[in-house]
Amino acid sequence: MASKDDLDHRDEDEVCPVCKSSRYLNPNMRFLINPECYHKMCESCVDRIFSSGPSNCPVAGCRKTLRKNKFRAQTFEDIGVEREVDIRRRVMHILNRREEEFDSKRAYDDFLEQREEMIANLVSRIDVAKTEAQLQKYASENMQSIRTNQALEEQEASSFQARMTQEQEEARLRRQLAREQLENERREIQASREDMLNRLAAGSSADAAAIAREGHKVLLKKSSARRSEEDRIRQKQAALRSEMKRGAGAGELAGPSDSGLIKGLRKIKTPEPEKPYDPFMGYVPEKRDYYTLQSSYPSTYLDRIRNDTRMAAGGYDLKEYYSRTMLEAFAGLGCFIGEEVSRRDAGAEVKPAATAGAAMAAGGE
Amino acid sequence: MAASPFTSRSPSMTVASPNTLRLRASAAQNGVVGATQASSTPTLNAGQELTEQLNADVRQRYVKDKKLGEGTYAVVYLGHLREDPSSFVAIKKIKVNAEYKDGLTMDAIREVKYLQELSHPNVIALHDVFSSKDQNLNLVLEFLPRGDLEMLIKDGDIQYGAADIKAWMGMLIRGVWFCHENFVLHRDIKPNNLLIASDGEVKLADFGLARSFADPYLNMTHQVITRWYRPPELLYGARQYSGAVDVWSMGMVFAELLLRVPFVAGNTDLDQISKISDAFGTPAEENWPGVTQLPNYIPTDPAHAVPLQGRDFFLRQFPTAGPVGADLLMSMCALDPRKRTTAYQALCHNWWTMDPQPTRNEDLPRKMGTKKMGDDLSRRGGDDDGPFKNAARQLDFGAMK
Repeated sequence: MASKDDLDHRDEDEVCPVCKSSRYLNPNMRFLINPECYHKMCESCVDRIFSSGPSNCPVAGCRKTLRKNKFRAQTFEDIGVEREVDIRRRVMHILNRREEEFDSKRAYDDFLEQREEMIANLVSRIDVAKTEAQLQKYASENMQSIRTNQALEEQEASSFQARMTQEQEEARLRRQLAREQLENERREIQASREDMLNRLAAGSSADAAAIAREGHKVLLKKSSARRSEEDRIRQKQAALRSEMKRGAGAGELAGPSDSGLIKGLRKIKTPEPEKPYDPFMGYVPEKRDYYTLQSSYPSTYLDRIRNDTRMAAGGYDLKEYYSRTMLEAFAGLGCFIGEEVSRRDAGAEVKPAATAGAAMAAGGE
Repeated sequence: MAASPFTSRSPSMTVASPNTLRLRASAAQNGVVGATQASSTPTLNAGQELTEQLNADVRQRYVKDKKLGEGTYAVVYLGHLREDPSSFVAIKKIKVNAEYKDGLTMDAIREVKYLQELSHPNVIALHDVFSSKDQNLNLVLEFLPRGDLEMLIKDGDIQYGAADIKAWMGMLIRGVWFCHENFVLHRDIKPNNLLIASDGEVKLADFGLARSFADPYLNMTHQVITRWYRPPELLYGARQYSGAVDVWSMGMVFAELLLRVPFVAGNTDLDQISKISDAFGTPAEENWPGVTQLPNYIPTDPAHAVPLQGRDFFLRQFPTAGPVGADLLMSMCALDPRKRTTAYQALCHNWWTMDPQPTRNEDLPRKMGTKKMGDDLSRRGGDDDGPFKNAARQLDFGAMK
């Protein structure tokens, strides 16, 4: 309010640049601007010129076509600031990536810098066409993510609002409760005191002390009962509050949106679908390339074992022997030492002498 | 010969069988003295010099730093590649044992023999082998800075849940399954031997007792596997057994992870049998046909016989695992090795697909403190998603919203 008064006072002799009427003559004069060209004019001029439809800006040299519905009151005194804020709002609305969408702090910073650069370009009218084109392209390509981020922002704002009001409400309730408690306590004390007095008046003087003591005890009991009741209520409220908080937290955890391609380093959209645990970690169990293992092989050499309960009791299993024998019989098939040696030498850059030696060793086998 | 013909990945065996040695000798001679066309059969002298040369090449490639620890049969040093100080390795120097004056200890031979063949993310990698002065054998192993599972189990400050246990057990069973698939028995599975890499991966280490299996008519010793993790068939002296012994050990590790104390911890072998009987049921012909014929079988007094424990017992004893996890544990702890699940079947169990999902490696609980330093050191240059990631996260303003 104070600032408005200041403004009014200072602009006592302010003049509408279009109709030249001054505040002195028309104390209710309001100035409006249009974000197309930011030329300011008084309300009556706007009514007069633009009521019958879009028209050219009346300021000399300005050929912008203005519409009445775009006119609004000025927020900042400096028209440059007003314009920059408008531009900033518009750009931020489109480039509304959030920090958690970036791989690193660095990438996010780069994005912020890029955004500032675009804003600065638009404000100081450098490469306006190019920047606008970039913005348009980005907006059309990333419609989805822009919308989700907007929704997120709104949600955050509203949840913040909700939290504030909730806290206020809680504080109010707490105060009210305390007040009621105090009142109740006072009333009860008074009631019991009256009761005691009545009884004292009715009874004999002998049990006066007893009555007084009893009255005191009742009072204590009542207050302690009340206190436990209050505790219960308070706990309930706390539980309720924490539950609400948890709910709010879950709401905020909505996943980030998909990627676009103009700005900086963007986190590649990997929600990391937690791979199921592989107990073998990629190793192929029971891999047999050249044979299939039979459950039994006839051999007189092994017949004695087949019937040996003592060996069986120790856990010895002929199948393991079959498996091992077969594995060893076929082991090395499909391994070509020559190839492996040359591949290794290519990688390790061993001197020719050693290569020749290794090849000889392999060949001599 | 400035460069060795072996890449750093493949363990180059300078202490090799005479056959390979001869081949390498002839090969190198052809390479180095190729122009002179020396005799096709190299003299012994030349061969020796050559092996020494090859050995020196491998040895030159690594630099020993500080001592990390010492066991009964080996000393472990921290080392790194000479040309790349950020790539750490553990160098296990086998002590010269008085008992084995004539050659190498069995443990060392076993470790080299099986580790050089196994290459799996859950099995410790053997990069190289060389001998230092006095014919000491040095194994260049993958450096695993984050301690072992035993440390995590015993540290009361560390809390872990079913998802973490699932991740650890998954890695353990995978490693063992890979060994069994290649017919290698580990025979010493215990939390102490399950080391943790800087990325949180659990790796099977200490193959000093490993051997191949399934040979018919070839007796194996039953004096293997640390007692608490030893299966009943070994306690009963079975000389022929199978991968089921490792599965029992894994079952015990599983139970220990759940309870945070060893499940059946006997003081003697006999005590161990009685504790197993008390916990899971008394082995008898009904639940384990042929058990009475095992060499060291001791008949139990029928009055004290415990019936075989059912599913309820596991559900009650291990509530953390959930019903499906308890099922898996139960199948891994079957008394009869034939009824026990195999590592492969264990990996096919539907516990892995149940909720909770196994924790990701980077989120697994870790031991803080002294080991952390080695942890940072083990980070390779340019390796972004190491343990250092957490430290950097504090400076990430983007995350602080």
